[in-house]
Formats: sequence, C-alpha cells, structure tokens
Amino acid sequence: MNKRTYVIASGLVLLLATVCLNLSPDSSARLKRAFSSFFIPLFSLQKGAEQAGDLIADNVAPRKELLQEISDLKQSNQLLRLRLAQNNNLIQENDNLRKQLKLLPKAEWNPRLTRIVGRDPANWWRSVQIDLGSMDGVKVDMPVLAAEGLVGRVQEVHPHRSRVALLGDPACRISVTIKATGESGVLNAGGGTVFDPTLVDLLFLPASTEARPGDTLFTSGLGEIFPRGIPVGKLLAVEPAPGALTTTARVKLSVNSSKLNEVWVLMQ
Amino acid sequence: MKAFFTFTILLTALAAIFFESACQIPRNLTGAQIDPLPALMLVAAVRAPVMAITALAIMGSLWQSSLSSDPLGISMLPLFALGMLVHLNIKSISHHHIGSRFALGAIAGTLMPILTLCLLLLTGHQPMIGLYSLWQWAVGIIGSGLFALGFFPWLEWLDRTMEEQPFAAPYDTTTKIIRSPKFYE
Repeated sequence: MNKRTYVIASGLVLLLATVCLNLSPDSSARLKRAFSSFFIPLFSLQKGAEQAGDLIADNVAPRKELLQEISDLKQSNQLLRLRLAQNNNLIQENDNLRKQLKLLPKAEWNPRLTRIVGRDPANWWRSVQIDLGSMDGVKVDMPVLAAEGLVGRVQEVHPHRSRVALLGDPACRISVTIKATGESGVLNAGGGTVFDPTLVDLLFLPASTEARPGDTLFTSGLGEIFPRGIPVGKLLAVEPAPGALTTTARVKLSVNSSKLNEVWVLMQ
Repeated sequence: MKAFFTFTILLTALAAIFFESACQIPRNLTGAQIDPLPALMLVAAVRAPVMAITALAIMGSLWQSSLSSDPLGISMLPLFALGMLVHLNIKSISHHHIGSRFALGAIAGTLMPILTLCLLLLTGHQPMIGLYSLWQWAVGIIGSGLFALGFFPWLEWLDRTMEEQPFAAPYDTTTKIIRSPKFYE
C-alpha cells in the first residue's frame, strides 16, 4: 500500500467528519434518518421474534393462571368504569364552568401505546427508540408517559420509529410545579447514578421555599409542550441556600426508564 | 477479494451496533453500555487494508450516531485515528495471544470514549458525565477487551473464507526443498 492511499483515506475522513459536525440540525436529522434506515430489516426481525415469543408464551400459559387474571381484570375494569363515570361528571362540570368564565377548552389526551425497541448506544445520553413514527402521526415534542408519570418527549421522528429524550437528558428540561407549595422550578440532568437513573436536579426553586422532602411534583404546563398536571416525581432533599435568590433540590422521578418496555405517546 | 471482506466487516459493524442498542442485558447488569466498535476497528486494522479501515470508521460512526443523540459522525475521527495507529504499527504489536488481544481491546476501549468525549466538549455539546462515568468507562474497557477476544477469531475466519483461492495447484510449486546429502544416507 503506497503513501498516497493513506493520504487520500485520511483526507476523506477529515473532510467527512468536518462536514458532518458542521451540518445544520435539519440536515443532520435528515441524514440520521437515512442512515438509520439500514437498521429497518434488523428492527423488523426483532419485532417478528418478539411476536413469535409472545405467541409461544400465550400458548404455554396455564389455564388456571389465565382465568385468575381475567377475573382480576374484570374487577379492576368495573372499578375503573365507576371512576370514569364520576370523572365524566366532573369533566362536564369543569367544561361548563370554563364556558361561563370564557376560558379555552382543555385539549383532550389521545394516548397511543408503543414499544421501546432500542436505547441510546452512548453512555452520556438518555434516550430510547420507540416503534411509532411520522407515518403513525408522531411529531417532535409530543409528551411520552408511563402509568406512573412522565417519561420524556419525542426528540426526533423517523417514518417508522422515533427517538424519545428521557427526563434527565440535557435535551429534556421541563418546568415542574410542587403540589404542596405551588412553586415552580426546572428539572435538569445530573444527580443520577449508574444504578439509579431516576435521580435528577430541580433548579431555580425560590431560596425561601417551604417545600419538604416527599412533596410531589407535576408538570407546570409552562412552555406548552407538556400538559399541566402529569406526575413527575417526589422531592428527596432541598439544599439550603442562605443569601441566594434560588436553590436546588434533588428529585426522584416516578418512572424508572431503564425498566420500561412500553410507553404512551400523547398524540394531539 | 478484500472488497468482500470489507463488506462483511461493515455487516458485522451494523449487526453489532444494532445489538448494542437493542440488547438490554449488559446495561441492566452493569449500568453501562458497551461499545463494540473500538474492538472491531482494532481487529480490522490488524487484518484489513486501509480502505476497509476508512469504510468502517465512516459507516460505523454514521450508523451509531443515527441511533443515538450524539451529533452525526462524532466518533468518525477517533475510530479512524485508532485504526491507523494500529495499522501503521502492526509489526510492533503482538496480537496472537489471548492476553495481548484482550489488552489491545481494552486499550481501544480506553481511548475511544476519551477522544469522543473531547470532541463532544470541543463542539459545544453537554454530555451527561459525572463520577458514575468512571464506572461506565471501566465497564467499557473490560467489555471492549472481551469484544476483541470474539472479533479476532471471527474476522480471521472471515478473512480466510473470503480470501482468493489459487486457480490451479493448491500447493506451492515454486519452492524446492533442498536437503543435505546426509539426509539420504
């Protein structure tokens, strides 16, 4: 191999790396979509294998266990129906009051269940891939939830998959409100450990805050990305900051994203 | 047939990146993601020509960043630098024993995250790093060493299989064995 080949190879890599690192966010996202399409056959294989596994598991599940589960589900369904009827009355009442006060009607949630198909290969980001994309109506910034609370927001949309930035990632800073005191702050990355990714920092809390460990946090609705009132987590500790304007608190998120397999995307 | 060998190296990279993203077991067990590309680049640099190293650096980094929040192609330069470093010094690197293979993989796994992190910080990004990153780095080093142990025999087998076969004689006809007359006594 002569020297010329080495020079050409080095020049090519240097040029490509420079171009890639200086692309606009839009062009970069388009190129990422193009390169991620190489993985489509592998993701399809994974989906097929999981469906086959589910089918086998369904067939080998003992009948007694299934009957017990059906009975439990029937009971919880009846309970939920009762609560739904009660909530429908409250929604009706709320709508009437909003009309009387001439307030805008609240947008209805339209959640759609999706599977997590991959996680970020890099250690320094917290994001996951879900198997819903622009073909299914997913758009950037849509909130992503689990039964326990907020998970993150859609960061990047591909035709059949999307990437979700999880709470605690620098790309998912959100405004939250402490239920007990009504004070707001911003959830920021940091504070997490290797085996407990549910720890994050809450910034810009008033220094004179009366918030106590154990207080619950909800989305504030500021910024108009996340609807108001989605559970986020609990306060663990508030750092005293004598003489300062704001203080920082440690928060434990209600959802442990490393254990999730399925999430809900709030479609609009 | 080194072009076909290069193609199979790229296929290996594609599959390895996919499994890195889709397989949760290493992350759930260790709390860290193990990057297979440094080990693969190391082995490719030992056995493949410079064009294969270039192709692996370009495609590997683009594929990896397409599944990540990383900027596009952020690991391209570190991967290429690692590959060239090994390729240019191949005669002075021992890579025939398990111990040395593991050590080489571990060194590759040590250098890659540092170089990539430096590039990330230089380009103005704010990756999540803390004390726990040291643990993730240590796991990555060991994981990369283990990956190297797997990739060495795999690429050796691929290279042997893809190698051009002789057209006529399957043995060397040009070498003549000259023995001392004492041998026949």
